[in-house]
Amino acid sequence: MNNQEMLSEEQVDFLREMMNIGAGNAATALGQMLRCQVNMEIPLAHVLPVPKVFSVLGDPSLPVACVRMGMVGDVVGELFFIVPAGQRADLTHLAERAMPGPTKKAPDLDLSVLTEIGNILVGVYLTAIHDFCQLHIYHTVPTIAIDMIQSLLDESIVALSPHVRALILIENEFIVEERHIRTFLLLIPAVQSVRTLVDSVEGARMAYGSE
Amino acid sequence: MVPNRIQVALGEGVVANAPHIVLSSGLGSCVAVILYDAQRGIGGLAHIMLPAQLRNAECGMWNEQSATCTEPGRSVRIPKSTFQCADTAIAALLERLRSRGAVRRDIVAKMVGGARMFSCYENPDTGIGKQNVVSVKRILRRERIALIGEDTGGHHGRSVEFHLDSGRVIVMAIGREEREI
Repeated sequence: MNNQEMLSEEQVDFLREMMNIGAGNAATALGQMLRCQVNMEIPLAHVLPVPKVFSVLGDPSLPVACVRMGMVGDVVGELFFIVPAGQRADLTHLAERAMPGPTKKAPDLDLSVLTEIGNILVGVYLTAIHDFCQLHIYHTVPTIAIDMIQSLLDESIVALSPHVRALILIENEFIVEERHIRTFLLLIPAVQSVRTLVDSVEGARMAYGSE
Repeated sequence: MVPNRIQVALGEGVVANAPHIVLSSGLGSCVAVILYDAQRGIGGLAHIMLPAQLRNAECGMWNEQSATCTEPGRSVRIPKSTFQCADTAIAALLERLRSRGAVRRDIVAKMVGGARMFSCYENPDTGIGKQNVVSVKRILRRERIALIGEDTGGHHGRSVEFHLDSGRVIVMAIGREEREI
């Protein structure tokens, strides 16, 4: 998004409201997967310049787990579910505990667990966007990698939108048995989809009021 | 003299003298191109993002078709900044090295990066990383600059440290031994 196309503050607030609706469903879905009570803080929606996205996610030299999905449909682009370095062990520990005995030692289990959590979250958020904005957005099969955040995102930023000035970053905080686990969802619309996304968010904001 | 550590961000470039150290981190598909005149201890590093400016047909692996045919929705609007594209970045580094007193025939090159971070479903040859590597090699050949070291490709991110006193280039990656090229 360049400066003219960037979401306004009101639109970001509205986006956050939509994400909040999605968050309730995400907590339920995760609770079923982890077999315990999962609560979620109200998600934060940030529109940040690209270098700031990297720094918000912590020390850029530390590895993050990153689940990438393509967006297809009314809005084209890519989605990333990001679990910062310090949070990964907590999340996979909870998931492994919920697994029945023999699967516990499966190799790459934590990768598939993180991929599935990303899948669930993206699904509920895209549903929320659909319900409010009437946008049909689907995601492609997720792939996961663990590395430095900038190295994971550089190709997508270059390919989708080299003029990009700001990205939409949604911060989710789960609370599981008093443990707080922060994860992030990064939305990179392709340059030709930015207008559609911004217009639809604005249309929904007007339709549902900004109270 | 205490060496400074000069950080080069995404899409930027720097030229410096010995004994300083130039660093660039978080290279995925991006490529760090390093040019060095050992005789005079002058060198430069550019953290390039794209193989070429679109208008430059000669470096034309990067074109609208190849960028969009495998992955729908990917677009090709090319940034204007000098150090973002391999062709303009190498030209700019050479010009700045020359103006600092480097001699063209003594300049050698090293390169790091050009990975395909998410590998599972995509042909590695269509990735921007691979195209960056190919483009840099082609430009160096055309400019008759010897490529004396490289650590490129694969599926992992890299960070790089370029020591201008010795010309040593140290490549760091998560979960791997440091490597000197």
